[in-house]
Amino acid sequence: MLRTEEMLLNVGPQHPSTHGVLRLVVKIDGERIVEVEPVIGYLHRGTEKLAEDLNYTQIIPYTDRMDYLSAMTNNYALVHAVEKMMGLEIPERADYLRVIVMELNRIASHLVWMGTYLLDIGAMSPFLYAFRDREQILSLFNELCGARLTYNYMRVGGVKWDAPPGWIEKADAFVDYLLPQMDEYHGLITGNEIFVRRTKGIGIVSQELAIQYALSGANLRVSGSDWDLRKKEPYSLYDRFQFDVPVGKNGDLYDKYLCRMQEIVESLKIVKQAIDQFPEKGTIMGKVPRVLRVPEGEIYTGIESPRGELGCHIVSKGKDKPWRLKFRRPSFYNLQILPTLLVGESISNLVAILGGIDIVLGEVDC
Amino acid sequence: MRGLVKGLGITLKNMTKPSVTHRYPDVPLPMPDRFRGIQYFDPDLCIVCNQCVRICPTDCITLTGKKHPDPEKKGKVIDTYDINFEICILCDLCTEVCPTEAIVMTNNYELAVYSRDDLFKNMEWLHQNDENVRKENNLNKPNLAPGGNKK
Amino acid sequence: MNPVLVMGPILLLFVVLGFVTMAILFERKVIGWIQMRPGPNRVGPWGILQTVADVLKLLIKEDIIPSKADKPLFKLAPAIAFIPAFAVLAVIPFTESLQFSQFAVGILYYLAVSSITIIGILMGGWASNNKYALLGAMRSAAQMISYEIPLVMSVVGIILSVGSLNLVEIVEAQKQVWFIFPQFLGFAVFFIASLSELNRTPFDLPEAESELVAGYHVEYTGFRFAFFMLSEYVYVFAMASLTTVLFLGGWNAPFGLTMIPGIVWFVLKFLLIVFSLFWIRATMPRVRVDQLMEFAWKVLLPVALFNILLTAVLQEVPYLDFLYRL
Repeated sequence: MLRTEEMLLNVGPQHPSTHGVLRLVVKIDGERIVEVEPVIGYLHRGTEKLAEDLNYTQIIPYTDRMDYLSAMTNNYALVHAVEKMMGLEIPERADYLRVIVMELNRIASHLVWMGTYLLDIGAMSPFLYAFRDREQILSLFNELCGARLTYNYMRVGGVKWDAPPGWIEKADAFVDYLLPQMDEYHGLITGNEIFVRRTKGIGIVSQELAIQYALSGANLRVSGSDWDLRKKEPYSLYDRFQFDVPVGKNGDLYDKYLCRMQEIVESLKIVKQAIDQFPEKGTIMGKVPRVLRVPEGEIYTGIESPRGELGCHIVSKGKDKPWRLKFRRPSFYNLQILPTLLVGESISNLVAILGGIDIVLGEVDC
Repeated sequence: MRGLVKGLGITLKNMTKPSVTHRYPDVPLPMPDRFRGIQYFDPDLCIVCNQCVRICPTDCITLTGKKHPDPEKKGKVIDTYDINFEICILCDLCTEVCPTEAIVMTNNYELAVYSRDDLFKNMEWLHQNDENVRKENNLNKPNLAPGGNKK
Repeated sequence: MNPVLVMGPILLLFVVLGFVTMAILFERKVIGWIQMRPGPNRVGPWGILQTVADVLKLLIKEDIIPSKADKPLFKLAPAIAFIPAFAVLAVIPFTESLQFSQFAVGILYYLAVSSITIIGILMGGWASNNKYALLGAMRSAAQMISYEIPLVMSVVGIILSVGSLNLVEIVEAQKQVWFIFPQFLGFAVFFIASLSELNRTPFDLPEAESELVAGYHVEYTGFRFAFFMLSEYVYVFAMASLTTVLFLGGWNAPFGLTMIPGIVWFVLKFLLIVFSLFWIRATMPRVRVDQLMEFAWKVLLPVALFNILLTAVLQEVPYLDFLYRL
């Protein structure tokens, strides 16, 4: 064997495939990765510290900016924790609206993942097809709450807006549109031999490893565990809906892709059921005191965001502001496994494995 | 091989479909009524209650009031009202708390300027921004019919 | 000196440059349509001047050479990459009368000269003194050298059938049947290998945007970058022409439609090839570098060799030999 020189390669923070401002310091021997050190913090805004100076309503727009691909679930993580601590009763109509928007947001988020992942792998068109369909969800949200990305939609005790006339029907029509549209994605990607060969058997995560690294979401389910907080610890109205939790077998990237695609279908099922059960009338805000003073104590609640378990830990001293607010951001926890997965792999698998984790840098750095 | 050919068929089929893009700068892109755009401010309605300043999560609003010019009347009238759009995140909270709807959202969203200083908008500018004002305004308005009925 | 001999190549250069501007526009348009967007439409009517504007922009850009670069090599590389791309066009016969030089080893000349470009790419990647550029250049060299072998082997079947390396004779031999039918295996191998030679999706690893940012021309700007880009698209022109000549019968009209002039047929077949390049680019993901090598050596090369054997055997089979012995 020839002795080869190791080379230090800097990937990011400005690189087309690091999905934002992640930086990886990669030591490579030829094309083989010897060591990886992720460097994070380029998008750190100190959300948790800022929140200590803001009252609970004011924190909601800040949560929008953590995982900016699924701001609805972030909104919910915060208001859910506060509501639980205050013991608030949520009107049914508001709860249904929350479920509908959260699941639509999950679909939008997975579509973005699918598109950008295929872009990482090198295919261009699926990205634009995914954005074409996601655009319809964003338009629905724009109509509902006046923004396409940073919704600021949920409030402690309910939601800000009721559905405008005809909105529910539009959401229903979207579900009917997207279900057959999934065939197009499967035809374009799932059977594609190049895609299969690039993802099958790559970046395998065993169940033990996944649990050791506290992975959650599709990253965990792909290894065979059916852990989904919507099923295991139902919050909101999730115990009222019939849906399956897609589980992978091999723990590789291809299973991750299939898992997320199936999750889109399951989310569509939930939206459909929620629309069918949607109450005719009702208020969208519960009885909430004018100033939100959370009783002294602390609470941790976890919800299932598109990327995994999104936890919210509030420590309150009885004021209208949290004494300490901590978010368990799934992207941050899922990213920890990256060096383990990458060592020994070829450099050409780097972007495929990194993309498969599905990180949002706004959430990693918070 | 079959998957590749199938993919080629799908892309070819999509080639004949019409494009889904907007011709945005040429044709204005209308936004729905609830869109959170640049605020419109009506000085006559403002009662200088300071609620919008207190709720603003980024502290981008500054206002000063002065005594009512008519000595008979109580209360204050607005003197200056500035929003710094460098840091405003258009979160809609200021319009949500405003008791008199002196500040409301509009559907205008074009804020690009050449100098950062131009993003500092004063009361006159915000008052002149009176097109496409949002109609459906505050939370739980009595005249607001509950929409979105089940089909 | 014969003025035709002087003016001809200059004219061809302008035709090729015109093709390159149109091809880049057409590529972006086609991919745009496939992705349900209009493609470039801001400069000129229907976006027709988009590439012209892009090239103009490249021309007036600041010429940047990295301070740690190997300057003479850095400056030389784009020229070495481009000159062979243009030189190979000399042997392509467009019609019976429109051809520049007809010599006995046309195919061999094309394949030999076109591989000089690799040196330019390798030089550019090395001289940039950038890790991404180096990785891109290494991949590029490995890829282009490996794929040249199946490319050459796939043509041997035709050479066996025609008994000549002269491109004009090869076209003449396709009066009755185009080689795409008897030499289908050869065509498949040739087409795939040519995709790889052109560094196009799914074999665009040397410039894999999502991995290597831009590959060997990361550090190039302005006119030097334009030269790399230009040589890439001139190769598209050359390779599509060569495919037309070798497998689609060159200027020969199908179904006896000889009232339409040969040049029109040539252009139509040529455009079909170019379109399929763009179409494939819009559909396929990128293969991985080790799979790429595997594919060249373990799939394409055996298939190409089998094709040679098949051609040799079928030449002796009665009733079929008319397809293989021309």
